[in-house]
Amino acid sequence: MKADRTGLSIRAKSNLTGWSFILIAVTMIAAFYFYPMVQALILSFKTGTGSNLTYTGGSNYVRLLSDKTFLTSLSNTFIYLIIQVPVMILLALFISVLLNDSKLKFRGFFRTAIFLPCVTSLVAYSVVFKYLFAADGLVNSLLLKLSVIQVPIQWITDPFWAKITIIIAITWRWTGYNMIFYLSALQNIDSSIYEAARIDGASSFKQFTKITVPMLKPIILFTSITSTIGTLQLFDEVMNITKGGPGNATLSISQYIYNLSFKYTADFGYAATVSYSIVVIIVLLSILQFKVAGDKK
Amino acid sequence: MKKVLALFLSCMVILAGCSSGGGGQEPAASGSNSGGSSSGSKAEEITIWAWDPAFNIAALNIAKEAYSKKNPDAKINIVEFAQADIIQKLNTGLNSGTTKGLPNIVLIEDYRAQGFLQSYPDAFYDLSGKVRSEDFAEYKIGPTSLNGKQYGVPFDSGVTGMYVRKDYIEQAGYTLDDLKNIDWKQYIEIGKVIKEKTGKDIITLDPNDLGIIRMMIQSAGSWYLAEDGKTPDLAGNAALKEAFELYKEMMEANVVKVNADWSQFIANINNGDVATVPTGNWITPSVKAEASQAGQWAILPIPKLPQTPNSVHATNLGGSSWYVMNIPGAETAADFLAETFGSDVNMYQNLLTNVGAIGTLKAAASGEAYAKPDEFFGGQQIVNDFAAWTAEIPKVNYGISTYAIEDILVVEMQNYLNGKGIDQALSDAQAQAEAQVK
Repeated sequence: MKADRTGLSIRAKSNLTGWSFILIAVTMIAAFYFYPMVQALILSFKTGTGSNLTYTGGSNYVRLLSDKTFLTSLSNTFIYLIIQVPVMILLALFISVLLNDSKLKFRGFFRTAIFLPCVTSLVAYSVVFKYLFAADGLVNSLLLKLSVIQVPIQWITDPFWAKITIIIAITWRWTGYNMIFYLSALQNIDSSIYEAARIDGASSFKQFTKITVPMLKPIILFTSITSTIGTLQLFDEVMNITKGGPGNATLSISQYIYNLSFKYTADFGYAATVSYSIVVIIVLLSILQFKVAGDKK
Repeated sequence: MKKVLALFLSCMVILAGCSSGGGGQEPAASGSNSGGSSSGSKAEEITIWAWDPAFNIAALNIAKEAYSKKNPDAKINIVEFAQADIIQKLNTGLNSGTTKGLPNIVLIEDYRAQGFLQSYPDAFYDLSGKVRSEDFAEYKIGPTSLNGKQYGVPFDSGVTGMYVRKDYIEQAGYTLDDLKNIDWKQYIEIGKVIKEKTGKDIITLDPNDLGIIRMMIQSAGSWYLAEDGKTPDLAGNAALKEAFELYKEMMEANVVKVNADWSQFIANINNGDVATVPTGNWITPSVKAEASQAGQWAILPIPKLPQTPNSVHATNLGGSSWYVMNIPGAETAADFLAETFGSDVNMYQNLLTNVGAIGTLKAAASGEAYAKPDEFFGGQQIVNDFAAWTAEIPKVNYGISTYAIEDILVVEMQNYLNGKGIDQALSDAQAQAEAQVK
C-alpha cells in the first residue's frame, strides 16, 4: 500500500480518523464513568471521617456483613423488590392489554393519564403522597367516610403501613412507564394471530397467556430488569415520604448511603463500600433474570 | 494529524477544567481584590449560608445592616438553603478538595460542629484572635472549639422551655403553677387528665426524631457519648435508660400526637392539637405565627427526670453557631462576625426584639429587650426566663456522631416499644454504636 508523507498507510489513516471521531465520547465516558467507578472502588478500602481517610484494607467489607442497619436496608429493599416489581409488571401488562383494545374510546386520554405519573417530579409527587397518606390526610378521611376502617391508619409512622405506602407510591409512579413498553410491543403482534386463535375457540384469558405473554417475553425481561435496578436504587420516595423511618422500617440501601455520607459524620469510605454492594447485587440479579427469562444463545 | 492532536489537546483542557486543583488554591468567586492586602480585604464580597428565614436568616439580615453602617463598602450575600443541603454541599465541597462554591460563613448545628471540625482539618478559619471564647455561654464552647482554638462564633442558645396552652390546662382543672418545675412522670399524669378532660394530647412527637430523649439526658449532664466525645455511652447510661422508659410510658399512656415531619409538627402546634410543646426557644416565632392564639400560651421550665439525681429544669435542644471557611475572604468574614455576633450588644437587643433570637453572648444578657414583656405569652418576660435557664444548662460533649447513634437508638426504641427489654435494647445499641463509631 502506498504510504503518504506521514508514513501511515491509507488503512491506518482511516482507522485513525475513525478513532478520532469516537475519541471525545471515549474520553468523556472514561472520565465521567470509569474514573469515578475506579475511584469509588479505591475509596471503599479507606475508612475515616470527612477527608481524614486511611487505607484499612477490607475492613469496610467486613463491617458491611455485620452491620445491622445495612442488613435492614437490604431486606427492606428486597421486600420492595419482591412485592412491588411483580405487582407493577402484572398491572402494567393488564392495563396495556386493556388499552390496546381498538374498540376502546378515549384510548389516547387513558394512555396519557396513566403515563403522566412517571413524568412528574419525584420530589413533588412524594410530597403530595406524604400529605395524602398523613394520619389526617385524604386517604384516611376517605376510608373513614366509607367505613372501611374505624381508626385512622398510621400510614407513615407505622413500620408496616409505611412500607405499604412506599410500595403504593412507586407502583403509582412507574406502572405507566412500563405500560408504554408493553403497548408498543403489543402493537407489533400481528392481529391475525389473535384472529386465528379466536377461530380455534381460544378464550380471552387463553389468548393472553398463550399469545400475548410469550410474545412480550423479551419486553417483560427488559422491564423487569430495569424495574429491579430502579428499585435497588430507590431513594427519592423513601427520603421524601418517610425519611427511612419509623426506625429504619422503610430505609433503602441508597438512603443508607446518603445517611452515611451526609446525615452522619461523613464516612465516604464505608458509603462507597455499600454502593459497591448494590453493584454486585444488580449484576447478580440481572444475570439470574437473563438465565430465567432470556433467550438461549 | 494536526487536527487529531488539536482534538486531543482540547479534550485534555476540558478534562483539566473539570478536575480540581488542590484545595484552597482558587481565587474567590468575588474576585477582583481577593487575596489582596488587609486594606483591600474589607471591600470583599462574602457569602453566608443559613437555613431558617424566620430565625437565623432574619438574624443575619439584622447583622448585615449593623455591619454595613460601619463598613459601607462590604458586600454581603445571604443565601438560604435547607440545613440538609448545607451539610451535603459542605461535605462534597470539602471532600472534593475544591473550595469553589463554598460560602465564607456557614451556620452549623452544634451537634454536627465537631464532626466538621475534626473531619476537615484546616477547612475552617481559626477565630481565636477575633472573638474571645470567655465572652460566650460556657456550654457553647465545647462544640465550637477544637484543640484549644475557637473556630465558631456561638450563636443561638437552643435553651428549652415548655410552651403551654393555658386554656387547655385550665379546662383540665390545673393552673400554671401546677405545671411549674414538675418531672416527666408528673407530666405524663397531667397529660392523662388533659386527654380525658379536653381530648387534646399533651405532646406531639416524631418517632424518627429523639429530640425529647436528647433534652432529657442533657438535663442530667449525660449524652450518647462519654465525656471524651468518642466512646458510646448507652448500655450503662442511667439517664438514657430513664428517658427511654418515660418515652415508652408516654406512648402507652396515649397522650402523644404522632407527627411525621417538621411541617406536621408545626401544624399540630398551630392547630391547637397539643397542650404543651417542650422544645428549644427557636420555636417561638413559629408558635407566634398563629396570631389568633395570642394570650393563650405561657412558657414554663422544662420538666426534669424524676430519678436521675442531677437532672435540672434546664436543657438544650439544637442550637447552632457561625463558622468561617478557610478560603479567600476569610479575613472579611471573620471581621464581620467579630463586629456583629461576636461583640455587638446593641445588635443582640435588636435580634431579640425583632426576631426573638436569644444569643449566647454574655455581655448581651441584660438590657431592655431582655425584660420586655411579651404580650403573646400573656405579658411574660420570656427572654429573662430563658436567660435564667440558659445559665443552668449542663455542659456535655456532643462528640462527632450524635445523629449516627440516634439512628441506632431510633430502631432500638421501636424494638423496646414492641416489647424488647430495656437493658437488652440499650446494650444492643451499644454494640452497634461501637462497631459504627470508630
